[in-house]
Amino acid sequence: MRKLAITSLGMATIALGTIALAALAVRDAHSATLIVPPDPSTMGTQALVNNACSKCHGQYGVSASPLFPILAGQLPGYIEAELKLFRLRGRSDPRARAFMWGIARGLTDEQIKGVAQYFSTQPAVKGGGSSNPALADKGKLLYENGAPDRDIEACTVCHGHSGEGVNTQPRLAGQHRDYVAIQMSQYRGGLRENKVMQHVTEKMTDDELAAVVDYVATL
Amino acid sequence: MPPELTAFGRRFKLSGYTLTTRPPLVDDIDDHKKDTLFLTDLPGIAVLAQMGYDHYNRAPPDTGQPYPAHAQSDTFQFPDQFSLVYAGAVSDKVGAWLQLTYNGQAGSVGIDNIDIRYSDHTLDNKWVWGVTANNYLTFQDVWNGIGSYTVPNFNTVTLSSGGVAGTGTSGPILNALGPGSVAGIGAYVFYNDSLYFELSAYHSAVAGGNSPTIDSVSLAANGGAVDRFAPYARIAYERDWGYHSAEIGGSALYVNWVPSVGYISAQQQAAAALAGNTYTPGQTFNPGPINRYTDVSVDWQYQYNGPYNIFSFLGHVTHERQQNSDQLVAATFTGASTPIYTNPTDTLTQFLVTGEYFHNRHYGGLVSFTRTTGTSDPLANGGNGSPANQYETFELDYVPWLNVRFILQYDAYQVVANNQSPFNLSNANFPNSPGFTNVKASDNNTWVLGLWMDF
Repeated sequence: MRKLAITSLGMATIALGTIALAALAVRDAHSATLIVPPDPSTMGTQALVNNACSKCHGQYGVSASPLFPILAGQLPGYIEAELKLFRLRGRSDPRARAFMWGIARGLTDEQIKGVAQYFSTQPAVKGGGSSNPALADKGKLLYENGAPDRDIEACTVCHGHSGEGVNTQPRLAGQHRDYVAIQMSQYRGGLRENKVMQHVTEKMTDDELAAVVDYVATL
Repeated sequence: MPPELTAFGRRFKLSGYTLTTRPPLVDDIDDHKKDTLFLTDLPGIAVLAQMGYDHYNRAPPDTGQPYPAHAQSDTFQFPDQFSLVYAGAVSDKVGAWLQLTYNGQAGSVGIDNIDIRYSDHTLDNKWVWGVTANNYLTFQDVWNGIGSYTVPNFNTVTLSSGGVAGTGTSGPILNALGPGSVAGIGAYVFYNDSLYFELSAYHSAVAGGNSPTIDSVSLAANGGAVDRFAPYARIAYERDWGYHSAEIGGSALYVNWVPSVGYISAQQQAAAALAGNTYTPGQTFNPGPINRYTDVSVDWQYQYNGPYNIFSFLGHVTHERQQNSDQLVAATFTGASTPIYTNPTDTLTQFLVTGEYFHNRHYGGLVSFTRTTGTSDPLANGGNGSPANQYETFELDYVPWLNVRFILQYDAYQVVANNQSPFNLSNANFPNSPGFTNVKASDNNTWVLGLWMDF
């Protein structure tokens, strides 16, 4: 038995050596004839969008289900930052774990940039509006002014006057109402980590949360 | 593990399982080389394990022994099924589902479901098309109202004599052409994430034999085989809005089926004659008799895939027309032994409807109702000749994590056809099991405690 083991090990070494030599030979031959510049990514942006992103977020970034955010017109900085967070497993809300951790696992920086560019340049959609104008008005007040007495900052500071977003702070305008509502409740419960958002949502009452969500839906 | 494919899962499957973001194993990859070779760093291998504990309402009789053994009303399947699955990209446009399964009842490891796909799409993804090669008619489907993915999908087949619980219950041939008996190839298009059309053809592919022909050995192993090609067409329309997704579809199948009824080839006949054996005239058919099945089915599925809760409602109505071979029907039977069918044409209609709800994606349950009716054929079915069955499945599920599911299931039978029950209803008294009388359909009622894990 022992003899056999040694023999197979020997065989393996020889085999490995042969493969290595062959690989070297191929590599040499190859570098001499290289014409196409190496592409570091497995998939170009369009292929990624077609084969992966579009399955949930829609071909043009307008998802059908509010489980998945609308990405059309989203700021490229935000998409990039989030994809990098997913890749690092730094964002651990349940749906991020279930879907985006796996998807983003092997993305290169170039791919992330490409995808962010693609979705940010798709035409944005307009919010669905509110069925309760009184509630939306209340939300507008809070959205624009915050509540300084309770240490609640105005949403406009980070998300812009009409929800257009600033740098890596996401665009909210046109987003699925339910998606926004779910995110707010996840920030509040600490399921989605963000110090500012957690602080703000914890200070807000349930009614205030509902009002802001309702107003954001009109943007 | 969520019991049904979501809109996302359907698109993944139709794209040929090719969704991948894995980095390549070798560097210097350019588009040309990518087309010629694709290596994955970590293949998408999954393990699927099912354990089951079944409890029958009544211990079935032991009819085979002069002295009855201690028949139990409980069985453990540990594991009931254990599978290794590779599902993922093989190359850019080719993907595969390859499943190797240890089957608790058979006690052996074998090739299970296989689905290999080539898929491509237009630049804007409006048209997705592909080719599938698979070994299980309906395994390629992406909705759950029909065929191999019909919910309820946790069935532990219990007793060897037909096992009423689960897949042993008689149904249309549309659900029955599986691994080890057929292989097929099909082409499909999916337009605008809504309209699906597929054409496939299945040929017999009997496992375990070295003969590519349909001979008596492979017939006996499978109870029959597909003659030439069985064409299958599928059309479906899906609409997704918000948390909702709805589908309605239809399918049609035509099968020339060679049943296993003592078909003996001319060669075997000659060999037997040489050996000094003779066959009773009428048991020899050459060419073998062929029954013609035409199945037409309508199926539907509605899913609400909400932020917390999931609801689905699905089902199908399948109508089957079975034209029996003249050689096997009583009136036209010319042989010396017994004919197999009473009627030249038999029909079967199966109706299944299932409602399922999951609260918070953790606690769930389902209620399912199945009813099968058909023409009475005493020779084919024994007893009063009815192939009918009717049963409900009630299930409670607990899904603590996405990939672990605890199942408590109760199957309640109101009607069971004679030859499908462990308690063969045509024989109300079992001479070898004294006191075993008053057999009812409800004797088959079964409690199932199950565990299902994917990882």
